[in-house]
Amino acid sequence: MIVFKDISKIYNIGDETVYALDHVDLTIKEGEFVGIIGPSGSGKSTLMHIMGCLDIATEGEYDLDGQSIDVYTDNELAAIRNKKIGFIFQSFNLLNKLTIEENVELPLIYQGVHAAKRRTRVAEALAQVGMSHRRKHTPNSISGGQQQRAAIARAIVTRPALILADEPTGNLDSKTGEEIMALFQELNIAGHTIVLITHDASVAAQAKRILMLKDGKIAEVRDDN
Amino acid sequence: MIIKSIKMALKAITSSKMRSFLTMLGVIIGVTALVVLVSLVTSATKAVTDEVASMGKDMLSVSIADNKGKPLKIEDLKEIAKDRSIDLISPKLTSVAEHKMRNGIKSSDVTRIGTNGSHFIIEGYTLASGRLLKHADLDNNSYVSVLSNDIAISLFGSTDIIGRDVVLDGVKYQVVGVLNTPKGLMAETNRNNIYIPFTVAQRLQTDASTGNGIREFLLTAKGADNVSRAEQVVKEALKARFGDDPEAFHVYNQNEMAKSIDEIYKVFALLLGGIAAISLLVGGIGIMNIMLVSVTERTKEIGIRKALGAKSSSILVQFIVEALVLCLIGCAMGIAVSAGILAIVNGVSSGAAAASAAKMTFSMSGTVILVAVLFSTVIGLVFGLYPARKAAKMHPIDALRFE
Repeated sequence: MIVFKDISKIYNIGDETVYALDHVDLTIKEGEFVGIIGPSGSGKSTLMHIMGCLDIATEGEYDLDGQSIDVYTDNELAAIRNKKIGFIFQSFNLLNKLTIEENVELPLIYQGVHAAKRRTRVAEALAQVGMSHRRKHTPNSISGGQQQRAAIARAIVTRPALILADEPTGNLDSKTGEEIMALFQELNIAGHTIVLITHDASVAAQAKRILMLKDGKIAEVRDDN
Repeated sequence: MIIKSIKMALKAITSSKMRSFLTMLGVIIGVTALVVLVSLVTSATKAVTDEVASMGKDMLSVSIADNKGKPLKIEDLKEIAKDRSIDLISPKLTSVAEHKMRNGIKSSDVTRIGTNGSHFIIEGYTLASGRLLKHADLDNNSYVSVLSNDIAISLFGSTDIIGRDVVLDGVKYQVVGVLNTPKGLMAETNRNNIYIPFTVAQRLQTDASTGNGIREFLLTAKGADNVSRAEQVVKEALKARFGDDPEAFHVYNQNEMAKSIDEIYKVFALLLGGIAAISLLVGGIGIMNIMLVSVTERTKEIGIRKALGAKSSSILVQFIVEALVLCLIGCAMGIAVSAGILAIVNGVSSGAAAASAAKMTFSMSGTVILVAVLFSTVIGLVFGLYPARKAAKMHPIDALRFE
């Protein structure tokens, strides 16, 4: 479903030209659980932003579900993010003014789903991550692990094919991190394609396929498929 | 989507109540100024024009600016009054005179009006004691006077002064009558008058250019049906005398007077409303300022929302709705404050009315409320647009990276 063809992302800093991604070729098929590992500054975040349609490559072509995303307008990209991609961030990125329930509801609002349907979908997603009992809380009043679960609920509430996780366990203690990783395994079994970006080898090890990113270039490390 | 945006806006507004209130304060003050000032002026206008219109619908007032060397005499008025449409006619000569107390130290300026007995009936004044001016007073040039109630009290400390003398510019006039305090708003200006026979007043006039003619007179028609005929008769008589010069004389009826007062007050209302609108505009700038701060503070939120699939238009709508809701809440508060202020003004004015006999009720006009709401809406949209566009145009990655 994801095909990177000779993708480069180039930044011009002063006179210097920096390749955040340097001619990357990559294919991720539906249902895969891919870990992308690399030190900081290796271009991980840039890779995730392009994969998540938050940013556009300078060179090369990105096909998502057989369609090059070059043709889309900003608003169409927003719709694609909304329908096809669920984001999970290191710092959870929940809106603190809203309750957990309202946070999870947001993507559905932007999709234009009716209120009654939104309620059932939100309830389902929260149940799936075991957060139903915290739905009326605000993010500030629950633990980091619970916040990440809520963020996962928000990512899956639109039933996206692809889940993009950027250091999802980075702000959590190791036990909570393991629980979250277990949740990812469940989601993968349920059919979601998962791309997990991390600098932590032990976290990446739980993926079925591991890619290594270094200086903007990608290399296959392991593929259990 | 709009309902959801309004809910989101309310959430954002209530999450920092103090800041939201301070932001709204500009709009609250602007709306209050607009509504209160315009309501006061329009209520006052209504009271005055009602009064003028009710004050003898059958009354005409004539002023002569240029007598073309052919001064109008009492006899000429009598000639005009012969027409069947005219009831009463009364010349009027107003001047200021100095009144000296008997001890010669204390003095005060009073308004001295030379006229005849009909004047009191035309103006609707009633006697408290004594008698009005008579024809004989004019014919004999009698040095007699009729005093307004207030002036009698202020000069003599009593209204029981028939037969005593009042000294104006060194001339003694015997007091023959004292009037009751007139009712109504316009009467306020006529409370310090001393009335003397017109012929006597004319003698005092040394201004040669007037040639001792009548420069002002009042008349009443026989019933409201005869007003237009009476007006026609007077105009023709004066035209015959002074020629076809539109500047030579003016005949006013009460409706015209009410109209011209209305015009003057309308200008007032516009002027005050305009000033208030400027303060509302300043309030709008305050809103824009805080919205810009808010957009910067919420950069991360905007990034998250965009990552979750919010279109630029959704972000735009969200922030515009927020500015709009701020403005409209401020507007509602302003209207509530205005209602409170007008209620207080009414309380004070009805307390004062018991003493002065003048009564005015101030009510909020629907038009000004509508104008305030519309103006607040426009301000919300205009001043919300720039910050909202700034938010909508943010790149999702830059916004997400923002800490």
